[in-house]
Amino acid sequence: MATNTDFDGFGRVSRTAGTLFRYLLLAATLFGLVFVTILLVYVANDAIQPLTADPGWHLTFLLTLVLPTLAAGAYAYRRGVEALRTGVFTIGFVVVAAMFSGGAAMIFVDIVEPLTWLAFLLALAVPTAVTALVVSYDHRVSFAAQFVVTVAVFYLSLFGVPGPLGSLAGVPSLAPGLFGFVAGLPYAPAPWLMLAATFGPPAAYVGSRFVAADRDRRAHVLVGAAVFAFVVLGGALAPFAGVDRVPGVVVTAVGLVPPLVYAAGTAANRPTERVGLLVPAAVVVGSLVGAAVVDAVGFAGPQSWVDWQFLTNAHSSTAADAGFYPAVGGSILLMVTVAVLAFPVGIGAAVYLEEYAPDNRFTRVIDVNISNLAGVPSVVYGLLGLGLFVTYLDQPPGTVLLGGATLGLLILPIVIISAREAIRAVPEETRAASYGMGATKWQTVKNVVLPRSFSGILTGTILALGRAIGETAPLIMIGAPNVKYSLPTALSEAVSAMPLQVYAWSSLYASEDFYQKAVPAGVVVLVAILLAMNSIAIVLRNKYQSTE
Amino acid sequence: MSGDSLADDLTRRTQNAPPELLSRTFFFVCAALSIATTIGLIVLLTTEAAKFFTFSAPLVGVEGETATVVEFLTGTVWQPTSGSFGVLALVTATLMVMIGSSVIALPLGVGTAIYLSEYASPRVRSILKPGLEILAGIPTVVYGFFAVIYITPMLQPFVPGLGTFNMLSACIVVGIMIIPMVASISEDAMSAVPEELRQAGYGMGATKFEVSTGIVVPSALSGIFSSFILALSRAIGETMAVTIAAGSTAQFLNPLNPATYTERALPMTAAMIKLIGGDVTGGGIAYRSVFAIGITLFVITLAMNVISDYVAQRYREEY
Repeated sequence: MATNTDFDGFGRVSRTAGTLFRYLLLAATLFGLVFVTILLVYVANDAIQPLTADPGWHLTFLLTLVLPTLAAGAYAYRRGVEALRTGVFTIGFVVVAAMFSGGAAMIFVDIVEPLTWLAFLLALAVPTAVTALVVSYDHRVSFAAQFVVTVAVFYLSLFGVPGPLGSLAGVPSLAPGLFGFVAGLPYAPAPWLMLAATFGPPAAYVGSRFVAADRDRRAHVLVGAAVFAFVVLGGALAPFAGVDRVPGVVVTAVGLVPPLVYAAGTAANRPTERVGLLVPAAVVVGSLVGAAVVDAVGFAGPQSWVDWQFLTNAHSSTAADAGFYPAVGGSILLMVTVAVLAFPVGIGAAVYLEEYAPDNRFTRVIDVNISNLAGVPSVVYGLLGLGLFVTYLDQPPGTVLLGGATLGLLILPIVIISAREAIRAVPEETRAASYGMGATKWQTVKNVVLPRSFSGILTGTILALGRAIGETAPLIMIGAPNVKYSLPTALSEAVSAMPLQVYAWSSLYASEDFYQKAVPAGVVVLVAILLAMNSIAIVLRNKYQSTE
Repeated sequence: MSGDSLADDLTRRTQNAPPELLSRTFFFVCAALSIATTIGLIVLLTTEAAKFFTFSAPLVGVEGETATVVEFLTGTVWQPTSGSFGVLALVTATLMVMIGSSVIALPLGVGTAIYLSEYASPRVRSILKPGLEILAGIPTVVYGFFAVIYITPMLQPFVPGLGTFNMLSACIVVGIMIIPMVASISEDAMSAVPEELRQAGYGMGATKFEVSTGIVVPSALSGIFSSFILALSRAIGETMAVTIAAGSTAQFLNPLNPATYTERALPMTAAMIKLIGGDVTGGGIAYRSVFAIGITLFVITLAMNVISDYVAQRYREEY
């Protein structure tokens, strides 16, 4: 050291520039994140107004909810990071399942009649069973015959004799399909029973698979029966909780069963992570106890604009009464339509480009074309929807189908690109192994490529869906109404959407009142739903990357 | 020899078996649909825009003549209700969005990319990258609202003459919105720089700072530039944030003069929303003018995407 000082600075390096550079880079990285986080905190503060609550209210929840949760978290962390991670994941799961069940309940309360739902499921289930039977005679029935039978059975079941093809030719309807028959039954069981019958079995199946994972048949049956009974009880007892039976069943099956099954499965099968369940337990028990105490003592909660009234009412010209219900429902419907229209095509195109496409000019054209389509502004896609569907095909503007088709075209390139990446990540060896076993291309795609890339594709599609429901400009271009007072009940009805409603409030109804109440509340709901979707996608991807 | 032909025969048979044929056709049709979308887009935009330029019927409530292509492209006044269709007033506003947002997004995006690719530990990266993705997932309408409600009031004490609606806050939010895009594409390019080059730099006695700025960034320059172009094309196409935040007064402003950023303006995308949102009935001249703006926008963004691709391909350093 001492000898070094004799040289004229040789071998000594100033670290100032490097350190400065490093912190500049860190600041650059954090700038956007911090900035947006601050803005989100601002808007959440405007929407929820936590400071308007009694100090006693805050104190109660600090004591019953925050401190016990922190204590449980610290305890779980000391027992292992894995345990804490499971606990936090369960909380996220509860929140996401609750949102999801709310959306599903909305569909069955206002959009789809339970009888129609049951009829539709039956009309799909019966031909599926027939097809499975035919396919199981694989070697004796030729493919052409299988194909014809499958198409015929589905057609008859859904449309009847002679169906839309017949009505095109002018033949009157002779016999309804299974769908028409069930939907037209004069006597039907109570709607909530029909829902329990359709939601119960899948819930029971998932429950028995997850909770009784490696145990014997008896355990499977017991767990399944318990889950099924729980779903039925959820409907039967819902009126005591002040909820109708139909949403009661849906919320139980979609919102309560999955997190409970996950928690029960963790408790039963993963002893090291069991302790992490204390965290969600502390949250749930803490909120209930806190709510009970606050109710009993009479501490006033915050004057939140995001409340039950906001979530269940339609737009109003006064900001305080304005609600978000038709917009939320519209976004859910659009999401379903987009998924049905865009996902099969997008994944199909990705499979073609990765597995089938020869290396020729046409393939390269498609390739370049898709990346260019991904860069086309969303408002131009809106023009495409407007010009193609409204002007040329003479569709009414602003319908669910139109919105779904336009948003579907918009996210198609994104779906294709992300699905290609997922398919590319499937190791070449697995394909070679499949071919080595004598499998054909289609068998390899069906049995190896798609299952192996499933979670990657799922991640990409969820992110793309998030993009689709955050879009406003295409919906405005295709003439979606700014104000909608009810949920659309058919694909041909006009639809509103969450971002569109936020835009309408912040432009057409631009006033201090709306800026301070309705718009922040709408923004909070919209961002919460999108963040939930994106975090599902990211959690899925991380899980999948770490297991690969 | 006979074995070969037998193999060929078998291959052909399995390749053309009905399930194979059916699935292959389905996948092909899906892929071809993207071409159909592009063709549909181009045909629709050109025919509708052509109708706009040849529109000559007298219009109810509209005085004056419709625009020719030259008038459209060189005019500086945009007032559809009185028949002035000078798209330059809109293009300059779009240019302002592009310049203003790039001042924020380009340095911050590249800084983020360098940090993530060279400095951040895997643990930090595993937190920051999803964070940036979430940043990119927030809907643009929310950013527009942020600009009007929070950013403009925050800026007003510092910037004299800043109205409620102005280009400055619009540019800021668009800039923040496109940071993740610059960052992720640039970071991909930097991660692709081979480790040997960095090691060679360290072997010569360079510091991490010198390696990052002297080796990694120059090597990844083509990727960085292509990320710039893509992000700018995204900024041009950005709609809701500028519609909400920039006001809706079409003005012909000088994009290079910083003082003009306190004014209201009407970028191309916002003009389209304004025209359609304001009770436009199909077939009228205002309706057609949307397609004329649309094709201008489409051509600009398409050109930028192609250039970005070209830059990434042509100037890529081969290792």
